[in-house]
Amino acid sequence: MSRSDVLVDADWVEAHNGDPGLVLVEVDEDTSAYDKGHIRNAVKIDWKKDLQDPVRRDFVDKEGFAALLSERGISNDDTVVLYGGNNNWFAAYAYWYFKLYGHQNVKLLDGGRKKWELESRELVTEVPKREATSYTAQDQDLSIRAFRDEVVAAIGQENLVDVRSPDEFAGRLLAPAHLPQEQAQRGGHIPTAKNVPWSKAAEEDGTFKSDDALRAVYGDAGVDFSIDTIAYCRIGERSAHTWFVFHELLGQPNVKNYDGSWTEYGSLVGVPIKTGDES
Amino acid sequence: MSAAPASTGPASTGPASTGPASTGAASTQAAGPQAVAAGCGAPAGGAAITDAGNQAVVQGRVTKDGSAVGTGYVRLLNGDGEFVAEVPLGEDGGFRFFAAPGTWTLRVLAPGGVRAEQAVAAATGKVVNLEVAV
Repeated sequence: MSRSDVLVDADWVEAHNGDPGLVLVEVDEDTSAYDKGHIRNAVKIDWKKDLQDPVRRDFVDKEGFAALLSERGISNDDTVVLYGGNNNWFAAYAYWYFKLYGHQNVKLLDGGRKKWELESRELVTEVPKREATSYTAQDQDLSIRAFRDEVVAAIGQENLVDVRSPDEFAGRLLAPAHLPQEQAQRGGHIPTAKNVPWSKAAEEDGTFKSDDALRAVYGDAGVDFSIDTIAYCRIGERSAHTWFVFHELLGQPNVKNYDGSWTEYGSLVGVPIKTGDES
Repeated sequence: MSAAPASTGPASTGPASTGPASTGAASTQAAGPQAVAAGCGAPAGGAAITDAGNQAVVQGRVTKDGSAVGTGYVRLLNGDGEFVAEVPLGEDGGFRFFAAPGTWTLRVLAPGGVRAEQAVAAATGKVVNLEVAV
């Protein structure tokens, strides 16, 4: 797996946009961004409405994912290029999610929507019409998804990488600073977790740092690349960004994203929590 | 980096502030848990908040020659210059952060290599309104 297998740049997208077998997908929480303007031919996926079960806290099931992709006109052998706002948080989350259900050819647009916008590249409001397909999803690949019990078991045994901001890690904030602060959970972090905010992996324009720079960022924070890793954040989308770095860019073999993340862990009864800036 | 969120002392809004928060009857309260449930995404635009509740709100508008800059991003940097959060500008040039009390730097990124920075002090229960000219 090399960087060129999983990342494309804006010039590549402009050169290949419209090619058969290529589907551009914008993934946002706030779909008004797509409605305001998106890359030509891109379809949209709403990370919440489309990817989350409407009742239980879990993902849509295999059949639901297949129905979604079929309806959006995505085939099993299509190359899917994902991009979105928030420095690709939700695009990286969708990337991980597509991999979870076994889609083979997925890539991220490096820099996402932000770099595209800052370079004043074309955005259109025209919504593409794609013929429906008969998509078949695989069973979830649980080698990349962590659940709460294995997170507790990993304390002191595996790398736990908390990719939230230092204030969230320490327990001073319960949500990122662009959101209202919740009170339901206890603040803090999973004991032994290293705090490496997701943003350490990205340049200011939203592109990923070089492999060497990334290894230095995590190595300096005390991450041991010879053992398994679980990444978490608040709801699992920033940590999908970090999962992408570890698993797809750096080629680490055993890396899981804990999508329950702090909103689950911080609400569990009886589990250990550490507050303050230290691991 | 910052004082405890429980601080309720009077806010120093710094020279960047354009005025104290209104808490009048027509105020818009800081969004509650229903807004949080939407996740980590950056909601662009939306009505300006005039009552911070228990939040430390930093919000404002980015303008160029007096007109709204509707495409761009605002990054919130902590006292060490480290990235903390980022939001896209609304069509009216608006942005909003729910910060912790303390001193922050706003960095604006807009097309054409446009950049601007402004320091701001946030405090619990206060809304700081800024206009950032680029």
